[in-house]
Amino acid sequence: MKFRSIIGAIALTAFTAGAASAIEIEVQYPYAHLFAKTYKQIIAEFNKAHPDITVKMRAPYESYEDGSQKVLKEAITKKMPDITFQGLNRQRILVEKGIAQSLEGFIAKETDFEKDGYHKAMLDLGTFGGKVHGIPFSVSLPIGYYNMDVVKKAGWTKPLPKTWEEVIELCQVIAKSGQQVDTMFWGWNITGNWFWQALNWSKNNPMLDQSETKVNFNNDHGKWAMRTFAKLVKECKMPNYNLKEAMGNFSAGKIGMYFWSISALQRVTNDSAGKFTLKTGPYPSVESTGGLPAGGNAGMMLAKDPERAAAAWKFLKFATSGRGAAIVAETTGYMPPNKKANEVHLKDFYAQNPNKFTAVAQLPLLREWYAFPGKNGLKITKIIEDAMQSIVTGDRVDEPDKVLEEMSEKVQKLLPKTSS
Amino acid sequence: MSTHEAVQAGETPSFAAASVRARMRYQLIATMLSAPAIALMFLLLIGPVVAVLLLSFTDWSLGDSDFNWVDMATYQEMVEDDIFWKAIANTLIYVGIVIPGSIILGLGAALLIESVTVGRSFWRAVYFLPVMSTLIAMAVVWEFMLNAKFGMVSQVLGFFGVEAKSWLQEPDTALPALCLIAIWQALGFNMVLFMAGLTSIPRELHNAAEVDGVRSAWDRFWLVTWPLLTPVTMFVAIITAIRSFQVFDTVHVLTKGGPDNATMVLVYQIYQEGFEFFRSSYASALTVVFLGFIFLLTLFKVFVVERKVHYQ
Repeated sequence: MKFRSIIGAIALTAFTAGAASAIEIEVQYPYAHLFAKTYKQIIAEFNKAHPDITVKMRAPYESYEDGSQKVLKEAITKKMPDITFQGLNRQRILVEKGIAQSLEGFIAKETDFEKDGYHKAMLDLGTFGGKVHGIPFSVSLPIGYYNMDVVKKAGWTKPLPKTWEEVIELCQVIAKSGQQVDTMFWGWNITGNWFWQALNWSKNNPMLDQSETKVNFNNDHGKWAMRTFAKLVKECKMPNYNLKEAMGNFSAGKIGMYFWSISALQRVTNDSAGKFTLKTGPYPSVESTGGLPAGGNAGMMLAKDPERAAAAWKFLKFATSGRGAAIVAETTGYMPPNKKANEVHLKDFYAQNPNKFTAVAQLPLLREWYAFPGKNGLKITKIIEDAMQSIVTGDRVDEPDKVLEEMSEKVQKLLPKTSS
Repeated sequence: MSTHEAVQAGETPSFAAASVRARMRYQLIATMLSAPAIALMFLLLIGPVVAVLLLSFTDWSLGDSDFNWVDMATYQEMVEDDIFWKAIANTLIYVGIVIPGSIILGLGAALLIESVTVGRSFWRAVYFLPVMSTLIAMAVVWEFMLNAKFGMVSQVLGFFGVEAKSWLQEPDTALPALCLIAIWQALGFNMVLFMAGLTSIPRELHNAAEVDGVRSAWDRFWLVTWPLLTPVTMFVAIITAIRSFQVFDTVHVLTKGGPDNATMVLVYQIYQEGFEFFRSSYASALTVVFLGFIFLLTLFKVFVVERKVHYQ
């Protein structure tokens, strides 16, 4: 039976290859456990709309790190897929090395691009050197998760915290109530710099100056950010959990508040079902001029051959369109960046899933997940992670200013001398 | 009889010339026959090392289409890099704990097992189990055992009044915890080598020592067993040293070099720089340093150990 089906498959491939107009494009994406269902559905609908294009899925990347690594290697051997989905902070390295193609040419030919839901804040996430190189596919934002049982038992009657001061207040109320739980966990360890960027963006404080050759976060806003982090660790007695432990313990009802990415919502909702009432709230202390860094990934064009690129563009556009984005929202915890998806396709969906809407309400705050420039870009994220870690272990929790100063010096050394 | 001697012995020159030609042909054939092996050796062993060495003098990073020569700049950066020095220090501490730990315990286990008469193969199998299991899988088990809340280690220590900790997340205990796992793993392997060494010691020597008035088992160990075990011990020490220098899997699975680089070791730093930060030239420079260490160990083995140790 198996043999026969193989023969059948070969015959079918031969047949499709023989058809004159058929073209096959290759696509590769990260995190099969999150997106396998999503892409299956997108491809099924895409095939109906474009029967002349066959989409071949390569084995998914294990992670964002794996994704950029694979493309960088394939760029040497010239075996890249036509479309690759890359972590938002991993796009820059592919643009700087000239591997990802600009999408400006395709966008110029589209007539109703803006009306189709591709708004500026969304495109900005994939814009480098003034040119769009990536189109966000799924985005996430940091939000607050609350175990309402713990909050109520602690006797907290006020609305959920809107500032970090209130978070600390709630921490202390929970601690005093004598419940056997950790009061709070703050996701500093998501890549080690995402929450650092979140604190800075909430004050509209960019990582580097305009020329991208000088550290900017060693200013007063940066000091506020590092001090706030140290205060949260200290006053809330925040445990030093790794990613798995933190999510596991919160889902098990052992942590009161949990600040994390919206992308985990589906998972936490499932795992905590029946154990406690889960509620999400906006990320605290975001100023009116401030924002929050977007997580998630974007589709990038690697194909150079015009014919393949044209077909690949059709797929990329479909996947990120209102319809494609709606599939993302329905099958994952991520939000679709596309405006049309949220306003038209998903109206009823959010009425039924208010926890998911928390992040959608934050969409106007969308800021880039900044990728540091140059060859040391990824190494810099490690410097930030190490600095944050020295606070969370309690080693240097009493000297946030000094930690910031040293971190700034080290990052400065690794930045390019001239702006690119 | 060599050609040289043949000429001196007064044989005819024409015969000598023919013999020279024969020798040359012999050598030519030998070279031709070994050429594939030599070519492969250059291609697979020496080639990559040379490539890494050359790469460390460039600024190439993964995915770049071209590169520049930067002379010693990468090494300069390395000397100024705190993490590099921390990695070196951690690696040396790790090696320094794992070698004596696994040798003493391995030898102890071997002597104890040798001394029992019943169930010898059972104990041997038990101690050898960690060697046969995959370290990555075992690392996951250790992760559970070292968990602060429900881990076995914390609970047992809690029984004795020691406060529970996230052993792998605390800067003070993370590296010792990794050393412990390494000793646990290397112990069985070293034990088997020691047992082989023990069986090769002739019984008569022990008997002779006893006749000569060495009464206690302890003295017999120091006077007979230990000196005769030195070749095995040196071999075990070198093997353990090389394996400890290469530690990667437990670090990767359990700590990722953290917390705050407390478990950053040389090979993990190479991996991180090369495959996470894509700083290929820096990773190459680190590899050169790593190869230097292994080279020194090999030299030590060849010139010190193999000369000083008296084999039977």
